[in-house]
Amino acid sequence: MTIVDFQDVHRAYTRDADVLAGVTFSIEPRQVVGLLGKNGAGKTTLLRIAMGMIEPQQGSVEVFGVDPRHEPMQVKRQIGYVSEEQILPPYLRVDQIIALHKGLFPTWDDDLARSMIERFATPGRQKIKTLSKGQARQVALLCAVAHRPGLLILDEPAGGLDPAARREFLETSIQLLNESGTTILFSSHYMTDVERLADRIVMLHEGRILIDTELDDLRENYSLALVQPDGRVSRERLLALDACLGVRERSDSLHAVFELEPARVEEVLHRELGVGNARCTRIALEEMFIELAGGQG
Amino acid sequence: MQFVITAGSELPIYRQLMRQIRDAIAGGRLRPGDRLTSQRELAQQLVIAPLTVKKAYDELEREGLIRTERGRGTFVAVAASPLDPTQQRQRLQDPVRQLLSRARLAGVSFAEVISLLEEVRAELQSERESREVPQNDGSEGV
Repeated sequence: MTIVDFQDVHRAYTRDADVLAGVTFSIEPRQVVGLLGKNGAGKTTLLRIAMGMIEPQQGSVEVFGVDPRHEPMQVKRQIGYVSEEQILPPYLRVDQIIALHKGLFPTWDDDLARSMIERFATPGRQKIKTLSKGQARQVALLCAVAHRPGLLILDEPAGGLDPAARREFLETSIQLLNESGTTILFSSHYMTDVERLADRIVMLHEGRILIDTELDDLRENYSLALVQPDGRVSRERLLALDACLGVRERSDSLHAVFELEPARVEEVLHRELGVGNARCTRIALEEMFIELAGGQG
Repeated sequence: MQFVITAGSELPIYRQLMRQIRDAIAGGRLRPGDRLTSQRELAQQLVIAPLTVKKAYDELEREGLIRTERGRGTFVAVAASPLDPTQQRQRLQDPVRQLLSRARLAGVSFAEVISLLEEVRAELQSERESREVPQNDGSEGV
């Protein structure tokens, strides 16, 4: 069964300014999808639509086969949600927050909750407001996963955390993948985290999907070409090539991303534009992000 | 067996893992019959997605380097490889092509590439000997 299905989702907060301008993709069981995009690309809006927190103005969303706005309880019981902006009640103690969540979810797994508390080494009697950012996020994660949800939605879960706390967070996510085969949809600006966790990435740009591909395909079938601009080569002529996804103009060269492996890009540039001195390389996710997000104008 | 994974490299993580396991087998650090760390354990250890480890193991199994026994685990294969020689050659073509075009770009001559290959081969061989792995007669394999 498809876990999440976005169909032509549109959403604007003010007239004539679409945050999402027709997003269509679906997520199958056990997939781990990394949602990428610049600030303002529409990532948070899309995740909130999946949670049923806001409604699409056009198009539809289904989670576990139902509309989260129509069956909020049924959907929410199967989802775990953590976001950077989430605020836990500051004057409650850790054990009180956990008890609160336990009451909400019939499938709550006490053993999992206990093992996570032990690993985090956060005393249960401590008040939320006295916790560090990293500790508070760990408590939020515990509350989001101890009912063993079929779908985990993480909106910038590692935002504002130090590298050690981020790694802890990743380790917990991987433990869940190992034990429960949870499906995960998460947004992140940390490309190295995305590479460790995701098997598929969806990149949003100005409310639309720019790339939707398996992470490994991205690195094996995409490349970056550095070309000297001259009479034969310009941004427009590069963009006119079939496999060219974006061109970024730098002071002394053009950076073009292609959906082809490097050797093929060299061939295409030579054949189509007569360029013989282009440097074509494979591209890591972070560079890909910068080139594409910055090269779309 | 310890592996090192670098996120952010241009090489996909499953390929980094495949390369390190292959090197460990070629260098004798992993021997036929040795048991590999389970997929789940390795995912937890390296903090990478379990699917990524599975992909690396599946590929290596297809190459005939390891085999999985249901309920027992994954082991380094005893026989070299069930792939036929034509397939083996095909698999090697890509890296060879890459090596040669890199050499050309760097202005390294073909003769120098050959002598480099011989050097690396000797290194691998002495690594193997120092681990006292039974020698083959040199007529097959590198």
